[in-house]
Amino acid sequence: MKLKVIYEKKHVDKPVLASVVLKTGTLVNILEAKMSPGGGEILVDVPKAEYVGKVIEAFKEEGVTVKELTKHFELDISRCVACGACVSPCPVDAIKLTGQAIEVDEGKCVRCQACVHACPMRAIKLL
Amino acid sequence: MEVLRKYEEVNEKIRKGDVVVMTADEYVEYVRRYGVEKAAKEVDVVTTGTFGAMCSSGAFLNFGHSDPPIKMFKCWLNDVPAYKGLAAVDAYIGATAISESRGIEYGGGHVIEDLVSHKEVELRAEGFPTDCYPRRYLETVITIDDLNQAVLVNPRNAYQRYNAATNSTDRVLYTYMGTLLPRYGNVMYSGSGQLSPLYKDRGLETIGIGTRIFLGGGIGYVIGEGTQHKPQDYLATLMVKGDLKQMNPRYLRGATIHRYGSTLYVGIGIPIPIINMKVAKTAATPDEEIFTEILDYGVPSRARPVLRKVSYAELKSGKVLLGDREAPTSSMSSLAYAREIAETLKRWIQEGRFTLNRPAELLPIHKEFKPLEVRRYEPRVKDVMTTKVVSAKPEDDIKKVAKLIVTHGIDHVPIIGPEGKLVGIVTSWDLARAVAQDKKSLKEIMTAKVVTARPDEALDLVIARLQQYRISGMPVVDEEEKLVGIVTSDDIARLLRRRVL
Repeated sequence: MKLKVIYEKKHVDKPVLASVVLKTGTLVNILEAKMSPGGGEILVDVPKAEYVGKVIEAFKEEGVTVKELTKHFELDISRCVACGACVSPCPVDAIKLTGQAIEVDEGKCVRCQACVHACPMRAIKLL
Repeated sequence: MEVLRKYEEVNEKIRKGDVVVMTADEYVEYVRRYGVEKAAKEVDVVTTGTFGAMCSSGAFLNFGHSDPPIKMFKCWLNDVPAYKGLAAVDAYIGATAISESRGIEYGGGHVIEDLVSHKEVELRAEGFPTDCYPRRYLETVITIDDLNQAVLVNPRNAYQRYNAATNSTDRVLYTYMGTLLPRYGNVMYSGSGQLSPLYKDRGLETIGIGTRIFLGGGIGYVIGEGTQHKPQDYLATLMVKGDLKQMNPRYLRGATIHRYGSTLYVGIGIPIPIINMKVAKTAATPDEEIFTEILDYGVPSRARPVLRKVSYAELKSGKVLLGDREAPTSSMSSLAYAREIAETLKRWIQEGRFTLNRPAELLPIHKEFKPLEVRRYEPRVKDVMTTKVVSAKPEDDIKKVAKLIVTHGIDHVPIIGPEGKLVGIVTSWDLARAVAQDKKSLKEIMTAKVVTARPDEALDLVIARLQQYRISGMPVVDEEEKLVGIVTSDDIARLLRRRVL
């Protein structure tokens, strides 16, 4: 499960993520991070599904806002021509060609943006 | 060779509604099951299709005359420059021209798609004022319906087949064959294989000047061989034209190839009448028997090394063997759309909406494709490199190397191992690090993985590597990795000064 965590100004100088990891005892993988003194957001993946609830709770205890990212890959099917330009450049093998469009395993996706760039039709967005 | 059916007979059957048409996919299967003799007897026409990036595409447009009139000297459509070396209000918008404000994200291909979609397009023109054309400037909005003519004329489309691409280097490459992952991480290909129009009439016996085709969702015509036509190597190409006003934006798509440029995806379908046994056989060629080569796009040269021969069946399977490893494959062109085009053309023929043209002239079956030889002097590495290189041995003492750098006023000291082979490099920065970190041996501070140049290499490539690795010089080595010189940004700067001033 991927989570988007939003930091306000008051959270920036606190070790929020480290506390969550210590408290829950599970590993958390950072996929994206944008942080400035005024606040920011990080995108993390919690590989073990059974810990997702605990991790969300722990983040909330730290005072930051947490959102579950169930749907983060957006395909504009009016642009997609089912060519395959995004398929083999995907380093985690998350994209498959299925007839008239592509199918994405959002769980596997690590948001590296390779597909976004590879798409000649600019049909892919990561939300 | 015995004629199995004439164009007139096929067209008569189309008019009566009893023509037998199969897509190339269906025909390949039919021949596999029942044999080519039976198929040749029964099937009148095989339809083909391809849908992919075709950079040599564009459209002639006629805007009509404004009042007061203008002799357009330069013009832009949605900020994309169109070619104006034509009469006053004729222009050619090329697929790869790019927007002056948005760059490659919007190009001539997108302009063509927007025109075909009946969207409004901004036209801006600068005049060359004359007594008969006094206007100096013009800015307005047009749609395709305002144009007198909008004709797609593509100098090179529908490559019979195309090479596949992979990447031996350590970094991601962004090429016209798409994103190529490092260390042979994937293989990209293009072309529809057994649906490919020109592969299905390999002997070019039915496709020629005047052949009526499916072009961008409308009707088009073959007007000749395409540029770089090389049929003897199964690299035939076509020049085609068609009325843009009747086309469909589903089959003409503006596209952006990341860090490469803008282009146009073009849909083309060609009907192949089964006029004799030879055509009946070539039209039945399956993906398993259509071969191309996987080239290493990591080598930035005209002669890219061939890694292996590969069939379209393998490419379409999603993985190929490269050495002892499997690499995933995927396509730049759309097989789904190629199939759709072959199906659509089949339906058009069955419904009597599309008849076949006998070509006025066939295309050449042999054509030389010459390279461009640059006859001006172009400096190579050996012309600017320093041959008297100050070097050191791995076991040398750091202080000695520091002295060399100071006495000779240099920045790079190549480290030479046994038999004169290059084993590393030390720069003044490495020495600073040695002092800071209290390192004693040269081996500890030298860079062992050295970026090098070859004496015959073009300077452009060396400049690109200097930038890529953010370095200021590199040793020059021969085929045996023996040091023959050193080339630095100073050498190149000196050369530029000599040439410019």
